[in-house]
Amino acid sequence: MSGGGNRKKTSRSEGWEEAGSEFYQESYPGDPEIEVLQRDPKHLHTLLPSKQTRGGATIRLKTNDYRTNNRTIRKHTTTRSRRESTGGPRRASIPGEVQVSMLPDLSEMRSNEQTAWEDIMLIKSLPVPMAEKKEMKAKILNEPNLRLQGYEQFKWKRRKMWDHVKARLVEHLQKLNLWGSSMRSIEGNYGVGILSYFIFVKWLFMLNLFIFALIFAFVVLPTILLDTNTNKRAYCPNVTSTGPEQLQFLPNESNKFLDLIQGTGVLEHTLLFYGYYSSEPLSYSIKGWYYNLPVAYLLIVILCFVVSAFAALNAAASGFKERLIEGQGQFYHYSSLVFGGWDFCVRNRRAADIKHKVVYNELKAGVETQRLEDEIRNRTAHEKYKIYFSRAIVNTAVLAILGGCGCVIYLVFRFSTERLSQTEDTYENLFYEFLPSFTIVGLNMTVPHLFKFLIGFEKYKPLSELKFSLIRTVFLRLSALIVLYASLWSKVNDSQIKGCSLYNKTPVCWESYVGQQIYKLLLTDFAIQVVVTLIINSLRALLARHVENKCVKFFAEQHFDLPKHALDVVYTQTLIWFGIFYAPLISLMGAIMFFFLFYIKRFACTVNCRPSPIVYRASRSNSLFMFVLLISFAFASIPLGFSFSDLTPSKACGPFKGEASVWSLAVGLFRRTPDWLQSVIFFLGTAGFAIPCIVVLVLLLYYYTAVNLANKQLVRVLKNQLVLEGHDKQFLLDRLSLFIKQEQQKRLRIEQSRDAGDHRS
Amino acid sequence: MGQTKSQFTDEELQDYQDLTYFTKKEVLYAHNKFKALAPEKVGHNKNAKLPMTKILQYPELSVNPFGERICEVFSSSRDGDCTFEDFLDMMSVFSEAAPKSVKAEHAFRIYDFDGDDMLGVSDLKKIITKLTGDHKLTDAEVNIIIENVLEEADMDDDGSLSFAEFEHITDRSSDFLSALRIRL
Repeated sequence: MSGGGNRKKTSRSEGWEEAGSEFYQESYPGDPEIEVLQRDPKHLHTLLPSKQTRGGATIRLKTNDYRTNNRTIRKHTTTRSRRESTGGPRRASIPGEVQVSMLPDLSEMRSNEQTAWEDIMLIKSLPVPMAEKKEMKAKILNEPNLRLQGYEQFKWKRRKMWDHVKARLVEHLQKLNLWGSSMRSIEGNYGVGILSYFIFVKWLFMLNLFIFALIFAFVVLPTILLDTNTNKRAYCPNVTSTGPEQLQFLPNESNKFLDLIQGTGVLEHTLLFYGYYSSEPLSYSIKGWYYNLPVAYLLIVILCFVVSAFAALNAAASGFKERLIEGQGQFYHYSSLVFGGWDFCVRNRRAADIKHKVVYNELKAGVETQRLEDEIRNRTAHEKYKIYFSRAIVNTAVLAILGGCGCVIYLVFRFSTERLSQTEDTYENLFYEFLPSFTIVGLNMTVPHLFKFLIGFEKYKPLSELKFSLIRTVFLRLSALIVLYASLWSKVNDSQIKGCSLYNKTPVCWESYVGQQIYKLLLTDFAIQVVVTLIINSLRALLARHVENKCVKFFAEQHFDLPKHALDVVYTQTLIWFGIFYAPLISLMGAIMFFFLFYIKRFACTVNCRPSPIVYRASRSNSLFMFVLLISFAFASIPLGFSFSDLTPSKACGPFKGEASVWSLAVGLFRRTPDWLQSVIFFLGTAGFAIPCIVVLVLLLYYYTAVNLANKQLVRVLKNQLVLEGHDKQFLLDRLSLFIKQEQQKRLRIEQSRDAGDHRS
Repeated sequence: MGQTKSQFTDEELQDYQDLTYFTKKEVLYAHNKFKALAPEKVGHNKNAKLPMTKILQYPELSVNPFGERICEVFSSSRDGDCTFEDFLDMMSVFSEAAPKSVKAEHAFRIYDFDGDDMLGVSDLKKIITKLTGDHKLTDAEVNIIIENVLEEADMDDDGSLSFAEFEHITDRSSDFLSALRIRL
């Protein structure tokens, strides 16, 4: 190619072809890219306005009219400023509107303090070096600013003050940030996916702390302060001959330590359990005022559940929304892998190596999956049937295992209660007391491995494999809980029939008894986690690190299996939810346990385990946690609701003694509300209200589905159109670059011929 | 702390606070970090220009496969050497407070290795090889992945991703925001 200068000289004499290049020169004055274009026409597409949005923005900002540009941005970004920008015209009265529109728009030209400040705040989002940003800021500050007047000034001052206070507050809160440094190191070493697990544990810790605060403030504190007659905790109104001291079972030979871990003896008659709370309204010293503890108890328990449900739903919904946007199928799987694959927070070499490997695995798995999908599509009917058959067998096997586990737990439970009533030896007693808990925990630890083994036969895709094994494990854990409920229920039902029982070994207060069972289960679970993590697994890790035997390595090496650990904490939380009613202070226990669990799990993650070869994405694992948590929430709240409505509270103790059911208290409360409220609520329950309501809802649902479908169709059409436009653009660009190329060749030829002519002459 | 404080005037700090996503305290903290990379040089001149090799000693950048590219993008002299202000810009973009659009903007510039304002096949190839590091995918596999990425994201079917298309992806990928974050 000849140089640009040479060409320019010759092209002066050319005809309309020159106009073409003039056109470029004019539309992009002084653009250095025009030179590039002339040298290499293929770069034409970089000159398109759509490709220039970002570069253009910065260039425009450098010139003086960046203010207007910023304003358009702001309209999109904040609703507040939108209100302000529409606020101007609205203030103008209607008769003056014409004049206003005829006047030059002053607000666009000159700024006041507020807009100037907002513009300065916008500078930080520009991709230019600091020096230029400083210049811009200085320019804005140097421009004449209108001072705000009156109320506007006050509003502006207040807003600045508020921003200042907020910044301060955030700064101080960051100092209080629990486990901040731990989180940072986990993030730096294991990436965001694992971090989200620890954030989840922290979330549960906070939740329990909050629940505890509620219970403490409205149930425990009033009881401590106002309840003075503690000696009539438990008595039967219709058995007058027995004094209160006979109701406590076997206080004589109690062992302090055993009591502590079983929640019996002294501990049974403390604030920890349901039985301690009074059924009578607590009175202040001022006459006529009283605190209705039973109502408070019921309302607070319900409130706790509502709070938990909302917190979980909120967290799940935000995750769900993200997944929905992200989802629409698996559209952006590869793109997000490629562009968001690297955790920029990773900060040490070892973690980085692992990260490389993980990304590699994931990319490879993507390619593999595609191959697998092709394979699935090409499977013969025979192979298909074979796979379906094996899946059916495995599924029945899984169901059988789940059922078997339930049976085992139930049998063990019955066996231990039978033996418990026969033996007198304390330690044998202790063994039988904890036998069911140990069985449950033991099954929880072993059976998932069996599932993992079985799933290999089913030939799922890796992702669905993960999901299936998770769901099965969830059901295993929950089936254990169901059996626990069932056995508790049968036991409670026995004692319930007897009314106010006084026997030594049967539970006097069945609610307290249930509370004790939960308490024991929680403690066992926690203890086993501590022992397994700190002793067994750390020994395994030690073995894996120092023994080079392959077989040993296979058994000793551990990966941080995120779903399993998530289930651990979710299970604990389920027990806590279920136990809140029977043992209010269990929430405090839960908070403390989660506090320590954080450290235990951190130990498991950092010391015991090698980093997992599976990628856990933050969003995916977050929604998984919340999904499991919501299932288990249902598992905790449904039986509790059932016990509220159908079981008679024990007659000897507790806030609800003498009521037919817990629910009847609520009904009684409802009866005392004003008549109009009652009738309104009754009306809400009638068919006259319900049927129109349902009809409207169904119509709305239909409407939104229709809109959704239409939008989907529109998206498809627009996408096609975009592709078409893209092709058109490509075609035109090709034509144009071809044209320019021809032009250049023509020029070259003319030049050469002229040169030749010069030579000849 | 006291010593570093004396290196900046109040106005400078105010400027930095207004022009980045940091508070004054965080700016000072960032300066401490910057100083730790080359204590005597920065102690002498608070805004000293450090060569890229020094900047790459910052732990997060040292292991980041795009470390060099990041330095180049943020360097005001375009050669990878960074002054404190460049460093501050960098940290501000990767801070938690920075919005997605800003991160996307810079991520695009980082990924656009050849600087043609488009993410073409060669850019994607480079990203993938850098991501996987020592573990090499075969050319065929890389091509399959690139094909898939383009199929997902290349709306107008022109064989490369413009910024608008890139932003479209980042808007939909919830992990993007959490991935592009360096804590100070």
